[in-house]
Amino acid sequence: MSPRPASFGLSDGPAQDRGFIAKLATMAGQPLHEIGPAGPGFEAAALGFTLALAASWAGAAGVFWAGEDVAFAEEGAPYPVGLAQYGLALDRLIVARAKKREDALWAAEQALAATGAIVICALGAQGKPLDLKASRRLLLFAERYHSRCLLLMPENGPSAAWTRWRIAPAESNALPDELGLPAFRAELTRNRGGPSGSSFILDWNAHERVFAEREVARDLSAAHPDGSADPRWARAI
Amino acid sequence: MSLADARAIQPKLEAVEDDPEEDARALDNVAAWCERFTPIVVLDPPEGLFLDIAGCSHLFGGEEKLRAEIVTRLHAQGFGSRAAIAPTPGAAWAFARYAKQKRQPERTLRESLQASLAATEDWQTQLANLPVEALRLDSNAAALLRRLGLKTVAHILKAPRSSFTARAGENAMLRLDQALGRTPEALRPRRPAPPVFALRRFLEPIFTADAILQVTQDLCGDAIERLDIRGAGALRAELVLFGVDGRDRVIGVNVSKPLREVKPLMRLFREKLNIVGENLNAEFGFEAARLDIVRLAEFDERTRTLVSGAEASASAEQIGGIVDVLSSRLGAKRVVRPLVHDEHAPERAAGWRSAVAKNDQVKSVKPPADGVQRRPVRLFAPGQLIEVMASVPDGPPLRFRWRRVTREVVRAEGPERISGDWQKREKTRDYYRVEDKQGRRYWLYREGLYGESETPPRWYVHGLFA
Repeated sequence: MSPRPASFGLSDGPAQDRGFIAKLATMAGQPLHEIGPAGPGFEAAALGFTLALAASWAGAAGVFWAGEDVAFAEEGAPYPVGLAQYGLALDRLIVARAKKREDALWAAEQALAATGAIVICALGAQGKPLDLKASRRLLLFAERYHSRCLLLMPENGPSAAWTRWRIAPAESNALPDELGLPAFRAELTRNRGGPSGSSFILDWNAHERVFAEREVARDLSAAHPDGSADPRWARAI
Repeated sequence: MSLADARAIQPKLEAVEDDPEEDARALDNVAAWCERFTPIVVLDPPEGLFLDIAGCSHLFGGEEKLRAEIVTRLHAQGFGSRAAIAPTPGAAWAFARYAKQKRQPERTLRESLQASLAATEDWQTQLANLPVEALRLDSNAAALLRRLGLKTVAHILKAPRSSFTARAGENAMLRLDQALGRTPEALRPRRPAPPVFALRRFLEPIFTADAILQVTQDLCGDAIERLDIRGAGALRAELVLFGVDGRDRVIGVNVSKPLREVKPLMRLFREKLNIVGENLNAEFGFEAARLDIVRLAEFDERTRTLVSGAEASASAEQIGGIVDVLSSRLGAKRVVRPLVHDEHAPERAAGWRSAVAKNDQVKSVKPPADGVQRRPVRLFAPGQLIEVMASVPDGPPLRFRWRRVTREVVRAEGPERISGDWQKREKTRDYYRVEDKQGRRYWLYREGLYGESETPPRWYVHGLFA
């Protein structure tokens, strides 16, 4: 018997208050978040989680997606039909590709000047880790213009982000031989002003633009298909 | 009865020349005064008024209290009145004139009377008991009906419809239907009803500029809330202040672009009130205030102007400016907006174009109602060849190798067949959406069909689901 989503939409009970839905409501008011794959091969899941956040928060100012060429090329080019199905409004989406990391960061800063915008800044795995100063600049721009930045990058250096998420795909929650909703295992590895280490299993409903948290999310070693071979998951317990 | 006969009965009788014009003016004045209770006041000459109190009565403590207040205050100004509240104008008209009014001992019939029928559920039954004149008929029609033995509304209700239309005219039936609410009745208000309004009344009259500003702010808040629901913005707003002296003052402001924020609207009113402040003649104070959004327009969310606050958004012009800056440094081909085409082949169904180019509308694509993704967020162009380790003919692979890693397929949906362009000699593709053991999802296709040629069909990964 596969577990069912706890609830779509907003928190409706005290049990939910400690859960992802409550965390998401807090995050919506914070200017900078960092998202990365929990392991090699999970880049698409990290992107999916980022896009889902962007789609659920996007307002009139829309979504800017600024990134390095490598971040676009490696895993395939962004595909508008799929992005729309994921919940993004195509008439309010602008993609900016930069050859160099500095240019991608600069583009993200420029885009953050659009009040209310959601700016995805996607960086590749190559090169040295992002320095703290660069993420602080993004934070300051986002704070000043009431925009929000989602920093999508694989490495784990110091950063000024309010939260840091490590994302892996989760097995489908649908009937056998149906793919169902996009699903993630999301681990909160950094949480400014709150406890970190909590993990969630989430389904993304692009039509409603809401996450649903699966109730089994706390017990990760059991839920991980590889039987907790990955120490990241063991740490989360 | 002649004047002489009347004087014989009551010698102290005072005679006044009939003056319909003066009566009409008086009725209009009463109507204007009544606008403090609702913006929708309809003249019904020679002596009647309709007030549409939907959504207003709660400000006065309920319908019955509102009715009593109107009657009492009209009496204080020297007007006798009868008032009734009913779900339809026709029924209210009938009850006000023909219902047995509860006589209050200390008042005479010429003074105000009660007809507290408003709340009663069986108003239709009560309406049926009224005389036939209660249906707003001219005296000839009513007399004819009486001669036919149809003396009450109930008689009309019971009689077969067809027998009427010819004789007493369709009017009786129409009036009956209107009174019962079977036929809607459009009344023309004395002043056009504002599409959106907010009304406040005060327990104590207000005098000071500060109090007036505060009330204006509250009213703006209420009105903006209603505009929000309608998805509209204000183009012209009028503040109506109702003086205790019975006069009202109107202060109007115009806006160039549809407005749906309290702050800028208040800024306009504050300036206007500063100018007219001295001429308000507030010595008796104001007892009520109303904000009418007289003109409104569809509010385009995307052109919402920049204001302070977290919910504000950059305007289209600002975003255009950012696009220009980005394009000048990165190059116009690197700053792009999505495009969607009516094409079968996935790689031709969408694309990107420079964001600097003229803003033609992108075809909108909605997420599927079940939220399940049919197309990947990332697409490889062209698809990347994969090595299929095991596969049932005409089915999805059970295992495949891509980027030197073998992936076990645990779930698969498909096939979705997309035929190629025959002019380009493209082969038919069967697409599968598959999930591997780790939850990663791929968009795979098999090019060509089994048995089509000597070599087995080839498999590709065309995109990744996120």
